[in-house]
Amino acid sequence: MAPEAPDVQPPTRVARSVHPTIAATPLPQSRRPIARVPVWLVFLGPTVFVLLAITVFPLVYSLALSLHSWTMGARAGWRWVGLQNFAMVLRADPYFWTSVRVTLAYVGAAVGLELLLGLAIALLLNRRADGRGGTVQTLLILPTMMTPVVVGIVWRLLYNPDLGFLNYVVSRLGLPPQHWLGDLGTALAAVVVADIWEWTPFMALVMLAGLRAMPRDPFEAGAIDGASGWQAFRYITLPLLTPTILVGVLIRLMDAFKTFDLVFVLTKGGPGMSTEVLSYYTYRYGFKFFHMGYAAALSYVLLAIVVIISQIFVRRLAHHEVEL
Amino acid sequence: MRRHRKTVDLFVEIATGAIVLLFLFPVLYLILTSLKTQVDAFQYPPVWIFRPTFSNYREVFDLYPFGHFLVNSLIVASASTVAAVALGAMAAYALARFSFRRSKDVAFWILSIRMTPPVAAIIPIFILMRMLGLLDSWASLVIAYSTMNLPFATWLLRGFFSEIPRELDESALVDGCSWFSAFRRIALPLAAPGLVVTAIFVFIFSWNEFLFALILTATKAQTLPVAVTGFIRETGIMWGHMAAAGVIIMTPMVMFSLAVQRYMVRGLTMGAIK
Repeated sequence: MAPEAPDVQPPTRVARSVHPTIAATPLPQSRRPIARVPVWLVFLGPTVFVLLAITVFPLVYSLALSLHSWTMGARAGWRWVGLQNFAMVLRADPYFWTSVRVTLAYVGAAVGLELLLGLAIALLLNRRADGRGGTVQTLLILPTMMTPVVVGIVWRLLYNPDLGFLNYVVSRLGLPPQHWLGDLGTALAAVVVADIWEWTPFMALVMLAGLRAMPRDPFEAGAIDGASGWQAFRYITLPLLTPTILVGVLIRLMDAFKTFDLVFVLTKGGPGMSTEVLSYYTYRYGFKFFHMGYAAALSYVLLAIVVIISQIFVRRLAHHEVEL
Repeated sequence: MRRHRKTVDLFVEIATGAIVLLFLFPVLYLILTSLKTQVDAFQYPPVWIFRPTFSNYREVFDLYPFGHFLVNSLIVASASTVAAVALGAMAAYALARFSFRRSKDVAFWILSIRMTPPVAAIIPIFILMRMLGLLDSWASLVIAYSTMNLPFATWLLRGFFSEIPRELDESALVDGCSWFSAFRRIALPLAAPGLVVTAIFVFIFSWNEFLFALILTATKAQTLPVAVTGFIRETGIMWGHMAAAGVIIMTPMVMFSLAVQRYMVRGLTMGAIK
């Protein structure tokens, strides 16, 4: 964070040289660019520099590493293997494809259900008078703002087969206790439920903000034309809400692909590979097996997946003229 | 018609109450567990009425170096926040005020950095920190968190700066202020609420971060979220301790999110939705 101090000087100098010009012209037109000299460079420079250093470096380093075979801690250094790691990942690693399926199922189920539940909750809250909304929203957002690791702890507690609350409910219903996180059939769903609990409030508040910002006119016009509640929702609310939905889903998608904490605390990817999302799979290759070259290739593939999917949404957003 | 209205309102209120309860219940369950003795915690079916005890909270500090981890978390989160907000404010001001070619591209680049899954960046950063001898130090986490949050801070602040009327800093320039003092004396004070909101968000994100803390630190600089997962292995699971630690970790974040409640959606969507 060193570049701060020297920055103070240049803008002053630049401004002095610019100043007479400004003073000489009549009043500056308010929408005209106010400076012709790249003063912005001084303001933007440090951030761009830091980001370049910390993002371009890892990307380039990672790319180089992904073309080598290197096990950290082993005596042998980097060994050039070309695209072999990538070929392995895509062609010869069945676990990778299992992990891709787990990840897509996880992200799809979590984000999809969060959208539906969030929308439903937002529509409900939107019917309430404004004033009291504050308290409800504050209470509701708690799961989202909680430390994700603590979310994991909470749900481990609830899922605990011996003393967890969920099995208590199940036993009251006369059903046998479940090993929620340890059973191949339920583990992924159990982690998804925790994710849904954590993030549905976020979706709901985003949707609610979108609903509250809607113009009234179309609804009044619709009412005059005799639109039913469902028609008003389908043909007025939903189209107007589309940009909001896209923003919410894009943000959730980017974050859902990163999910690591929840899996780490709840299941460690198990049982078998049933909850082994790509983040966790990559982590294991890098920091459990120390196959750094292979892990770097994996991380590149993960990055590619996220970028491609996000791009689809960003394009759609641009189409709706939302500035992101 | 009016009766119908009232019934609907009542239904809406009841449904809202039920939803809030559903989302709060797990948290309440954690808090209850943290107040139970080990004996009460192992009662099955769960007991709802018991003598609350704070012994779990005391023991978390007595039996583990919890205070040490707490200090680590505080220092790392504060330092990252200051760095990210200071750099972010300058960049945001530039993005909001000066017209230059490709400003859209810079903005998009900043956003796309946020898309990167941390696990994709952690390998080179780990190797870099190892080469610099910074593993298991505050510095490694501060560097990682402040840069990780810099795009977010810049983006959010850009929104706040562009809400300040341009005429204000323009007239300061006409009156003979330099760009930098127009920024410092006019724009910064006017964007103060935005700065506070951004700082709180960055603090929350840094405090909550797990993956980098897990990989870059061992014991010396370990932060709370990683430390608490260590409880699982060391002791079997002492549920009372885990719950108490969880409550301690989440409480400051809950307080902070109350403080930024009005800006919650804006912050979490990076200003896309206000």
